[in-house]
Order: sequence, then structure tokens, then C-alpha cells
Amino acid sequence: MAALASLNTVVGALFLLLTFLLMVSRQIQSVLRAFVGQSLLLVLSTVLLAILHHSAELAVVALITVAAKVIVIPGVLTRTLGQELRARREIESAVNVPVSLLLMLGLTVLAFFLAAPLLGPPAARAAVNLPIGLAALLIGVYTLAIRREAVAQVLSLMAIDNGVFFAGVAITTSSAIVEAAAGLEGVMVVLVVAILTRTIAQHLGSTEVSSLRQLGEGVPR
Amino acid sequence: MRLSAMLLWVIPAAPLASAALCLAVKNVSVAKLSTLGTALLAFAASLAVASDVTRHVGGVLLPGWIGVNALAALILVLQSFVGLTAAAYSWGYIPHLAPGDPTRQRRYFLNLNLFQASLFIVPLLLQPVLTWVAVELTTVLSIFLVSFGNTREALEAAWKYAVITIMGATVAAFGIFLLLWGLTRHHVAVQTWSALIRTAPHMPAGVVELAFVLILIGFGAKVGLVPMHTWLPDAHSQAPTPVCALLSGVEVSTVLYVILRLWPVFTAVQGFSPQSWALVVGLVSVGTAAFLLLQVHDYKRLFAFSTVEHMGMLLLCLGLGPLGALACIYQLTTHGLTKSFAFYGSGSVLLATGTRTIGDVRGLLRSAPVAAGALFVGALAIAGAPPFAVFLSELTIFRAAATTQDYLVLALLLVFLAIAFLGILRRTGGMLFGQPTHGPARLPRSMAAAMMVGIVPVVVLGVYLPLPLYHLLGMAAATLR
Repeated sequence: MAALASLNTVVGALFLLLTFLLMVSRQIQSVLRAFVGQSLLLVLSTVLLAILHHSAELAVVALITVAAKVIVIPGVLTRTLGQELRARREIESAVNVPVSLLLMLGLTVLAFFLAAPLLGPPAARAAVNLPIGLAALLIGVYTLAIRREAVAQVLSLMAIDNGVFFAGVAITTSSAIVEAAAGLEGVMVVLVVAILTRTIAQHLGSTEVSSLRQLGEGVPR
Repeated sequence: MRLSAMLLWVIPAAPLASAALCLAVKNVSVAKLSTLGTALLAFAASLAVASDVTRHVGGVLLPGWIGVNALAALILVLQSFVGLTAAAYSWGYIPHLAPGDPTRQRRYFLNLNLFQASLFIVPLLLQPVLTWVAVELTTVLSIFLVSFGNTREALEAAWKYAVITIMGATVAAFGIFLLLWGLTRHHVAVQTWSALIRTAPHMPAGVVELAFVLILIGFGAKVGLVPMHTWLPDAHSQAPTPVCALLSGVEVSTVLYVILRLWPVFTAVQGFSPQSWALVVGLVSVGTAAFLLLQVHDYKRLFAFSTVEHMGMLLLCLGLGPLGALACIYQLTTHGLTKSFAFYGSGSVLLATGTRTIGDVRGLLRSAPVAAGALFVGALAIAGAPPFAVFLSELTIFRAAATTQDYLVLALLLVFLAIAFLGILRRTGGMLFGQPTHGPARLPRSMAAAMMVGIVPVVVLGVYLPLPLYHLLGMAAATLR
């Protein structure tokens, strides 16, 4: 049991590492690979927690996560956005990588700082997952704000989602119906946003969403 | 099982059936007719449910899963009323947006029905996680309605809408998980609103506080609270007008409903005052929106910013004690009814002139009197002029602030509302008079009919509050305590 718990700690560390990688990678392909890896680690942590707590519900969650995040969502992205994913251009970002890394480190510290008071002795099972999930959430929101590329933004959104569930599986479980609804809904989100991205690419000739700045209170049009 | 509980099925099933019909039958007239027919059915069912709820009967269809309280019933009535007028308005409006393209028109009605169904589902669910899924669904199913115009601007609006609100919902999900953690720690297996409210006083304060902040930021982004409001004026002005009416009139309130439903959970924790958060965030939203209103050049954006202002006001009410709770529910109702009408007015002007730019339109009273009248009445009503509904609900807010002796809040609110009032009326007033810039235009009859129906509650609730509605408002306000 103790071995499983420490294994979960390793998984948590790797999850955080991949989150960093996902957020600073400049190639869309490697961002996608990092996302799949991050999802796999989420599954692994869920399985470990399921064994640790003898929870059948968590095992179901792990199955749903494999289906939705490891198989269907990357599949949907590759099918709808094949061209955009293969494009060999660099992802533009408003802040350069070293500064971003420093800020992300700061956000990670903040996450541990915020989570620490919540983790009393009865909450041991959440000790690893809660702060790391919160860190992934904060890092993801930050990256979403600085990335200028539609596909990269979609993957950041999904990574935030992974972070939330990484914390979620450690602190609560719902019935299988609820989990399945959440999984299905995640797939729908990706499908709709991917189609919207493709439409934008067709109309604009690129997925540089930062060039979308027609609307606002500037000069009267 | 009681009749009204059975009717809970009917409300979301009606638009879903209509959506299926839009898919199956390749005829625009059938799509229009089924949309309008099912909207009428859903409205009738919501009224029946609401009337039963006020008599303390019915309400739960599937214990632990599906059911309504007074607040949810009120939201259903608002959704279905605006849904009805939006269906009628779309009848004449959409052929002008996609002329000679029946397939696209049919797709519009399909999406509209799906969006309407997702809105209905939110107040029907008794589990916060499922409600969260439904809120995400409202975003997912309205993205293609926002981008319907397929112009560069519409795509930009849809993109910002999608990214910011989906991110917001994910942040809120973290908050909801934290609240459920509070349940798990006390070995409560049922994850319903009522279980949360019962267990809240025993939850660790830190967990609930962090959950509150995450939920306020997350759902606040979708409600349009400053500083997460940036997408709202874009999406709520670029979408086709009936969709704007639904988004601004009821979708934002539907998301706010989730925060309202959790409000007793947040207030139950010792040593934590969500009320002060509500006052500060609310006032900042009202103030920012009031000043931004002065710079707007697009009359649809004008009403979108007014939505930001009103959402701020609703949140602010939560910090003003028991009378504030009533004021919040009252304002939520009048805002939904009035804002949808204001958008119908601005859509008619858009149809008559073909431009959204305020400075390009003059002499509207002569060229398109009906559209001009609707725009001006909508502007007056939403700005809070008597004798319209918003005037009375805003008076209730002022009274609530006076009762809790928050005089600074009251003074600031009065200043901001006065600025917004002048901003809205100066901008729209200039469009009415002078030499007409556009030729005479006639409105489709269905749009005129939708506006005739839409204006009824705006005027009637300004002079008189029917007793059943008064009861419903009171009971809904009581759920916030």
C-alpha cells in the first residue's frame, strides 16, 4: 500500500512535469503528444487511487478517462484538424519561454500554498493530487492567456480539464452516470471547438486567433 | 405521480422533439412551425409547473436527480417565455439572414432548439455536477448560433465566447469538486443541492472559501462579470438577434442561477462573508459597464454592455440582506423580459437599416416607425425609466441598500445607473430624429407579433405585480437564505 501511495507521488510529479512541457512546447505535434501523456498519467493516478481505496467507482472513472481523453479526443482533433496539427510552424506566444517557466514555477508554489491549509490528516489521499491539480489549472489558465494559436489554446483548455480531474479523482467520486455524462460532454466540447477552429482556418487562412481583433470600442466602423 | 412533475419531462423534450423534426423533415416551414409550436408547449408546461410550485405541490420527478424548487421554476418560466418570443421573431428574421438558403435556415432552427433544450435542462437537475455539465452544454450548443453569420467578426466573437466560457466552466468544476469533497469528508453519499446545504455548516471553512472563489471566477466568466466580461459584448451583439435575446435575456441568468443555488452553502460557513465579495465584484461590474456604455458605437453592443451592468447589479443584491435577495430575484426577472425585448427592437432596426453603427442611423422615426418605437421603448425600459418593470425592481434594490444601511453602495449604484441611463438614451435618442438616412422599411409580421407579445410583461410588470408571480418571487428569494 505504501508503495502504491509513493508511486502515486511519482505519477503526480510526472503529471506536473508534462503540464510544464505542454505549456511551453513550440510545436503543435509535441503539445498534442504531451496532452496524451498527461491524460495517461491522469488515468494511472486514478487506477492507483482505485486500488488504494478499493473503489469500483474510480475504476469506472479510469475507463471513461481512457476512452474520452486518450482515444476519442486526440482522434477527434486529428480528424478535424489534421492539416493544422501537421503544420510545422512555431506557436507564437506573448511571453517568452524562460519568463513563462519562471511564472509557472511561481503559480505552482502558489497552488501548494493554497492547498496546504485544506489538507488535514483525514485528507491524506488528496495530499498529492489536490495541489498538483490546482497547479495545472493555474498554469493552464496562464498559458491560455498568452498563446496566440487556436489549436494550442484548445489543447491548453483540455490540459486545464485534466488538472481539474487530477484533483477531482482524489477528493470525490460521483456515480457512473454522472462521470459518463462529464466524459461525453468533454468530447462534445472538443468536437465543437475543433470545427470552429477549422472554420476560422478556412476563413482567415490561418489559426492565428490573435489576429482576430475587429471587435471593440475603438473607432466607429 | 403528480401532473406537474410529469410536465418536467415535457419542458426539455419539446425543443428536442422539434430539433429531431428539423433534422428529419427537409422543409423550412415545418422547422419554423415545430419550433414555434413546441416553444408554446414548453411555455404552457413551465407555467403549470410554476403554479404548482407556488402552491407547495409537485416539483420532484426523480428524487436525487430531477426536480425543481421555486427559483428553478421561475428560471424555467423566463426561459420558455423568451424562447417563445425568440421562436416567433426568428420566423421572419432568419430568412433575411440567409436569403435563398433553406438548408442554412433549417440548421439555424435545429441549433436554436438544441440550445433551448440545454437551457431548460440546467434548472431541472438536482446534482451540481450534472448541472455543471448542462451549463457546459449551453455553451457548446450556442457556439454555432453565435458564429451563424460566418463573417470575420462573428467567428471572432464565437471564438472568444468558446474559449473564455469553457475555461470558466472548467475553473468552476474545480470549485464544485471541492464542495463535493466537503460531502465526502462527512460520508454523505447523496450529491444534491440540498445535501450540500445541509452539510455546509460542518465543512471546513477553507475548502468552501476556495470553492467559492473558483466558482465565482468560473461561472462569473460566463455570467459576464468584470473583468471576465470581455467576450460578452462581442458574442451578444454578433449573434442573430433572437439568439442575442436568449443569450442576454436568459442564458446569463441561467448560469447565475447556479451561483444562487449554491449561495446558502457559501453563507452557512462561519467566519466567511461572501456578501462582501458580492458587493465589491457587483459594484465593479456595474461601474465598469456604465463607463464602457458611453464609448459604444454599435447599438447592439450597447444592450450587451447593459447586460454586464445588470449582472453586476444582481450579484450586488446578494450582499444586501433578505430584501436584497428578493430584489435580486425581482431584477433577474424584469431584466430577462426587458433585455430580450430591447434586442428585438435593435434587431428590427438592423433589418431596416442594415447597419449596427449608431452614427450611421438618423431619422428612424420617419423611415421605420415601428422599429424606432421598439428600440426607444426597449432602451427606456432597460435603462430603468418609469413606468416600466425594471424601474420597480431597481427601486427594490435601492430600498434593500437603505435597509442594510449600505449608503456608500447605494450612492455609487445611483451614480453608475444614472451614467448608464444617460449613455443608453443619448445613444439611441440620436438615431430617432433628423433627416432619415435610410429608406422606408416594413417589418415581417411575425417579428411585429413577437414584439407585441414581448412588450406585454415589460409594461404590465411596471404598474402591477400579479399575485401568483409575487408569491413565486418571494419563494424563490427564500431559497437564497
